[in-house]
Amino acid sequence: MASSILRTEKLCKSFSNMGVQQHVIKNLDLDIREGDFTVIMGSSGSGKSTLLYALSGMDKPTMGKVLFADTEIQGYSNDELAIFRRGNCGFVFQSVYLLENQTVLDNVLTGALIVQKNSPELVNKAKDLLKKTGLNDEDMKKYPNQLSGGEAQRVGIVRAIINDPKILFADEPTGQLNSSSSKDVLDIFTDIHKNGQSIVMVTHDLKTALRGTRVLYLRDGGIVGDYEMPPYGEDDIKNRRNKLTAFLDEMGW
Amino acid sequence: MKILRLSLFNLKKNKREAAAVAFLTMVTVFMLSIFFANGSKLKRAFDESFAASGSINQIVIFKDSFYHDEFRRILESDYKTDRLTENPFIFAGATDVRYESGEEVSFNFLFATERTERRIENFLKTDAMSDEELKSVSHPIWMPVNFNITKGLRVGETFTIIKSGRDYPFTIAGFYDTGLDSSDGYGFKCILSDEDYDLFSMLFSSGSAFSYNCVGLCFDAYDDFNFDEFIEKCSESSSENLTSGTVNLSYEGEKNNETVFADMFLNMTAFLSLITMISALFMIRHKISNDIEDQMQQIGVLEALGYRAHEISLSYLYEYMISGGLGCILGALAACLSTPLMNTFDETMLGRTVTGNTEVIKMILTALAIFIIVIMFALIKARTVKKYPPVVALRRGILTHHFGRNVLPLENTKGNINLRLAMKSLFSELRSCIGVTVCIIAAGITILFSTVSFDFFKDGANGLMAMMGTDDVMMITLMSGVDPENIRDEILKMPDVRKAIVTYDLTEIGVKGSDFSGTVQVYEDYKDAESITPAFGRYPEHDNEIMISYRRSKIENLSLGDSIVLERAGLEKSYMITGIVSSIMNSGSSLYLTSDGYRRIDLNARPNRINVYLKEGVGYDEFEDKLTAKFGLSAKDAAANQTVGGSMEDKIRAAADEKIAAMLSQYGVTSVEYAVRIGDELITGNSRSFVIKETATWEGMAKTQLVPIAGTFKKFTVVAAILISVIVGVILSIIAASNVRRQRHSLGIMKGLGYSSKDLMTQMAVRIMPVIIVSLLIASFGALWLNKFFWLAVIGAIARTSIKAIVITDIVLVIFCYVVTYLGAGRIKKISVNELMTE
Repeated sequence: MASSILRTEKLCKSFSNMGVQQHVIKNLDLDIREGDFTVIMGSSGSGKSTLLYALSGMDKPTMGKVLFADTEIQGYSNDELAIFRRGNCGFVFQSVYLLENQTVLDNVLTGALIVQKNSPELVNKAKDLLKKTGLNDEDMKKYPNQLSGGEAQRVGIVRAIINDPKILFADEPTGQLNSSSSKDVLDIFTDIHKNGQSIVMVTHDLKTALRGTRVLYLRDGGIVGDYEMPPYGEDDIKNRRNKLTAFLDEMGW
Repeated sequence: MKILRLSLFNLKKNKREAAAVAFLTMVTVFMLSIFFANGSKLKRAFDESFAASGSINQIVIFKDSFYHDEFRRILESDYKTDRLTENPFIFAGATDVRYESGEEVSFNFLFATERTERRIENFLKTDAMSDEELKSVSHPIWMPVNFNITKGLRVGETFTIIKSGRDYPFTIAGFYDTGLDSSDGYGFKCILSDEDYDLFSMLFSSGSAFSYNCVGLCFDAYDDFNFDEFIEKCSESSSENLTSGTVNLSYEGEKNNETVFADMFLNMTAFLSLITMISALFMIRHKISNDIEDQMQQIGVLEALGYRAHEISLSYLYEYMISGGLGCILGALAACLSTPLMNTFDETMLGRTVTGNTEVIKMILTALAIFIIVIMFALIKARTVKKYPPVVALRRGILTHHFGRNVLPLENTKGNINLRLAMKSLFSELRSCIGVTVCIIAAGITILFSTVSFDFFKDGANGLMAMMGTDDVMMITLMSGVDPENIRDEILKMPDVRKAIVTYDLTEIGVKGSDFSGTVQVYEDYKDAESITPAFGRYPEHDNEIMISYRRSKIENLSLGDSIVLERAGLEKSYMITGIVSSIMNSGSSLYLTSDGYRRIDLNARPNRINVYLKEGVGYDEFEDKLTAKFGLSAKDAAANQTVGGSMEDKIRAAADEKIAAMLSQYGVTSVEYAVRIGDELITGNSRSFVIKETATWEGMAKTQLVPIAGTFKKFTVVAAILISVIVGVILSIIAASNVRRQRHSLGIMKGLGYSSKDLMTQMAVRIMPVIIVSLLIASFGALWLNKFFWLAVIGAIARTSIKAIVITDIVLVIFCYVVTYLGAGRIKKISVNELMTE
């Protein structure tokens, strides 16, 4: 069994709205294993994204612990969390969030140069990764508003993995894409995972969830279901879908 | 109404920016109100004070030896006059005095009796001893109220006039309002008892160029009176050159003299308010641009809902109507409340009693004008909303999207990524920096000018001494027959001396065709001069070359290359002007010649003076004691010295020396020998025992005329530098905060990528640094230029500019701007990545 890379103990996250406390995550114990493609699912408002932000150091938990490779990060200041993230985490957002005033290549390098010094190797690596996702040299000179949604998301993925993060977090990465673009993006995630990348992804889409090796189902602030699958492509896709559908049905999805 | 609610919402949301706009408009209105209200009040206060004194408006003073009754006849026949009287005065130039506090200063005085005073004005006493008190005073003096207001002297205090080393203590019997001769620049008319006047009349009758008995023609002049023309007629009538030894005291001259510095301060206040206003307008422009960009989608939604572009524009307008309006009201209110303070300022500047009402109308009009300017400016910028129809606005202003060249691509990054990203951001938005550049240049010039001026004035009159067009030296005039080279060599051996040069005593010399005679300063080689620097042109090098003061060049419309003719003892020589120099000593009358050049106009001239430059930290009094120890008392000091004790021979020799010294120093005697027989004993002596005729420095006179200016200007520069720094600080922090809000999205993404708040704040601060540095470089040259021409324009002199002070100020300003922008960008800390992703 693979070792644990990310763990939570009694994790709680609450929001205060007009004086009323809303407990989104409640005493959650979770273990994310190295090399897994973990998919977090749940109904709308179940706290999927909240959990993702708490796990990734984007947000601080209200109570409990978040242990990244046995290092507690819940007590970090915002700047300490930023430094932690730059060395350990990659992010792919639903809205892509490319920097509008920077070219494709610069967007990728902006993520890289905060971690490592510039070098021809780094630039070549960025270009290679972009090429692997189907973007050519001309595309690399384009600004975000000149790209399609799928192209922009591919840039987002390259930007997220350029620093070889220990975990790649993705928040509904295909949420704003059409089916063709979604498939392209998911194929990239699958390839990355095959190369050993740990991934934690939030989605409510079955096709996206199928790419995972472990599906966690979140309800009322806690994990109520944990389903494991072989890596994508190693089993029959129809059978894989049926089993996952059955699991999700059981969870009340 | 709905639009107003939107404005109120924006105001509430951006309280800091709203407060900054209110602050800047408040400062602008406050300073402009003071400028407009006080400018006219100052002139009016002078007029009122002058009218209250009942003074005649013109006094023409002649040295008594030059005066002829014919002059009065010319005046009566050729000009319309009223209340014409002919009165005796004593002119006492550069006379040392001591206050009761022990402070010693120098003034020009015009002494008169009460009888004379009552013939030329009302002798209106503002504060005086009672008749009973006056009876017990043996030497009363009545002084212009200026002494009470600006020097803090009080009735009953002792005021000592020092003449030829002797003290003449007076008791201040009272102060009075006077029309003419009541300023540091011209001098002060003081009233003495008849007995004291007679004594002074003898004391000041030496025939010196600076102190003499005189006759004043006092009258009310009309427009047809022309002083130069009148003196020319008098000269023709008497066949004497009257260019020296005549003084013109007039209403206009007095008014200009007393208000010149107040005007200067008020003009600077207006200049500061202009900078503040530019800054405020720039900030409003920048903020509206950022707000529109930030609220683009909201604008699109409102347009989609049917709001018209101009209605949305109004929401921005209302915002500035409220914040700017509040600032205008507060500024006008502050100006009203500061009226007593400004009256005190006016009194100090004029040296006259000032009572004035608050100029409410002018203040309201100023506030209204600024309010309209702010509104107009805001409206023009807010109207850019119409550039964004709903579709464009909903797409967050597609027009602003980037399609251009990639400036500073990151693949070429060398070194720090934060620095690279900051520069990339700067170069991609260069246009938005124009406003900041203008603001920083204007503010930078003011701060740098203030700092340089402060550095200049920080040691009181020392800085101004450098503007006087003469070196700060001890002038040692030697007895005739003494070898100056030999004495110079002896003086150079003294440890306190760093330099000593042989030159000629100051001589007053006529300028043909001009009533503005000059005091000649002579240098063998002008490389020896330390504080005489040509503002234009160069030093004289040959015997037919001359350098003149800036003031003379303006008065007589002379330029480089022109010629002037000097006159002395019937001899006339022409000189070509090679340089124009900053010089305020002797009202800028100085003429600068080489030794050879001087000998052309004074064939008998022999060097008789040594200018001694002392080492840093050595005081003149301290050095004079050492000089006396080495060469004995000067003739002047000996004349003033009381007879010492000792044997009969000692007493006789001391008494003889005293008499000889008085003859040498006061009556132009060049050699004396004596023999005194007491019984069989013969005591002999001669004047050769004196080496030094007299010593003098510019220190006393300079202190008197310049210290008050230096003090006031020093305070003003500190206030100006602090005020403008605060404004720069406010603007930069608000710009930073506004930029953070506009770039919230990008900054959130950067945070998500692992950039810390500190990284992003650093980028924000570093980004503006090239603009600040370039602006300050431009401002430094601007300040250098301003420093030169400001003082030339105000007092006809060039201020010393400390490059060191400029460099230090520039460095401090760069650090200040960095810190302020960094802290102003602190809102970055509040940007939550989590919040961004759940938008």
